[in-house]
Amino acid sequence: MSASDFYALSPLLLLAGSSVLIMLLIAVRLSHRIIQISSLLLFAISLYSTVFTADILPYRIPPLLIFDGFSSFITALIIFSSLVVNILSYVYFDEKEESPKEYYVLLFLCTLGSCVLAISNHFVSLFLGLEILTVGLYALIAYLRGRNHSIEAGVKYLVLAAFSSAFLLFGMALIYLETGTMNFSEIGERLRTVDNIPVIFITGLGMMLVGVGFKLAIFPFHMWTADIYQGSPAPVTAFIATASKGGMFAVLFRFFASIQGFNFPEIITILSVVAIASMLVGNLLALRQNNVKRILAYSSIAHFGYLFVAFIPRNAISLEAISFYLLSYFITTLTAFGIVTLLSVRETDAEDIGRYKALFWQHPILACVLTASMLSLAGIPLTAGFIGKFYVLAAGLQGGFWLLAIILVLSSVIGLYYYLRIITIMFSKEEHAEIIEKKAHPGFYVASSAALVILTFVILLLGIYPDAVIKLLGGFSMS
Amino acid sequence: MEIAFYITAAITIISTLLVITRYNPVHALLYLVVSLLSLGMIFYLLGAAFAALLEVIIYAGAIMVLFIFVIMLLNLGKETAEQEKKWLKPKVWAGPAILALVLFIELCILLNTNDQAQYISELHVDPKVVALSLFRPYLIGVELAAMLLMAGVVGAAHIGQHKKTVLHRFLQEKEGT
Repeated sequence: MSASDFYALSPLLLLAGSSVLIMLLIAVRLSHRIIQISSLLLFAISLYSTVFTADILPYRIPPLLIFDGFSSFITALIIFSSLVVNILSYVYFDEKEESPKEYYVLLFLCTLGSCVLAISNHFVSLFLGLEILTVGLYALIAYLRGRNHSIEAGVKYLVLAAFSSAFLLFGMALIYLETGTMNFSEIGERLRTVDNIPVIFITGLGMMLVGVGFKLAIFPFHMWTADIYQGSPAPVTAFIATASKGGMFAVLFRFFASIQGFNFPEIITILSVVAIASMLVGNLLALRQNNVKRILAYSSIAHFGYLFVAFIPRNAISLEAISFYLLSYFITTLTAFGIVTLLSVRETDAEDIGRYKALFWQHPILACVLTASMLSLAGIPLTAGFIGKFYVLAAGLQGGFWLLAIILVLSSVIGLYYYLRIITIMFSKEEHAEIIEKKAHPGFYVASSAALVILTFVILLLGIYPDAVIKLLGGFSMS
Repeated sequence: MEIAFYITAAITIISTLLVITRYNPVHALLYLVVSLLSLGMIFYLLGAAFAALLEVIIYAGAIMVLFIFVIMLLNLGKETAEQEKKWLKPKVWAGPAILALVLFIELCILLNTNDQAQYISELHVDPKVVALSLFRPYLIGVELAAMLLMAGVVGAAHIGQHKKTVLHRFLQEKEGT
């Protein structure tokens, strides 16, 4: 490994080093507060390192890793969402019965796994990144191990994730059998020499889609989502919804771009069916839910269906559309789960929709923040979600995928119902005023609220004046 | 030695099927050991002697013994002795033993044949090649595997933590002062 390899790897090295450092801080019995603040600083440093290493892009560390504009952007996005999750975690975990310290070590490791996914160009790094992420998440989901819901969610995730990993591995083995290589670009080169897709290859690809689809919670593999979103602690749910899915989506996109899977009609058909079903199923299942975490879980299924509308055409603006959509979805989801986290009390998470009744009259700022994020999820103009959806539609229509575009619009209309329902509940007038509970840590509470308010401004800024970001995203290339 | 491959493959499939159809976990585990041993044998036949050794040492050796111990220790009770007697009936160990014996005979025959004819593939992978590829091109993979283990250990340490021991009130007072 040369010096420039280390330079390119520095965000990952920082994340890995931070997890060890935090473990040492735990060993000398520092307080939760110091550990939280130092991990916040370490996240900020690794985020900054993704920016200052941007000058050597594109860069390869053969055979495993690849660094280019897209992967660097996704890495930064993942680290940023972990940073936000980290800010929200203090208030949430400090009043819980478990010692919250190991949480930060696992958060660093999960972030590392997700970043490895985003930069991997080889089955080995894909699988290792996925497993680091998944093994960390087992413990994070069941972190409040005294609670039945948490344990149930943890065990469900363990069984299903292990099963889907087995499918993924078998799929990789079949592709290796057919092509004799595990490097994405080399697989693409081998495929270019054949006219028809070999049967073994398409079988392997299908099995890999099972593993990937589980992680992204798209249609036939979405059953776990609601239970696990509900059972895990609110900050962890925010992490699952953003960082863990973003890395997987990036590697899926890179893989399909390298093997030029978009030229094979069979693959396009499979992906279109998955996308249509995800959009419809996600939105329809959310309609009758009364649990905010479950609603957000189903909405995430639909949102990844939308992302596939930009993914399938693979044209000039696909990459831009996907990057922008991921950015807006991450920020919006983090804001929504941030509110859930801040409203949670010691015993239960604020997941019942009744908890949000007349929220506006008690916490006007939090209610406004949640309103903005719900509007953005629904794709109302002047929010980031609208521009993202517009981009996705443009990418789909440019590729001539009319059916996908029509389903996207229809299912967004269905989706409006449950997003607006949450908003109306927040603004409904309540007869008797509820006593506002005192928070134990006013400083951290204010800091978390301030972070959410800033995110809300970013949502609005992206919706009103997206030019700057679009210019940045337009410069990306995938090597 | 194609015939050796087919025998081993048959043993692998039979023993794995028996693993998932046994009622008693200990019986299943005995077949699982055989299944892992025959997998090691398949690796050997393919020319990957090092992978075969690792399979035997790590899976059939360390992990399975751990499994068997845990399951045996979980059954602590009054009838433990009787239960152990039941487990030691020939009906229980005969099946796995016969399958393992077939594997052993096969291995002996293979070791006596000449060097090239042992394997069913042209390519041999000796430990040196494995080490070179692990610590040159795939070095980052090895490091990532280390992080994976760390995630597993930290997670398991948290989930498996003992609750604080509840002290007697006299002791509590003493600690408070």
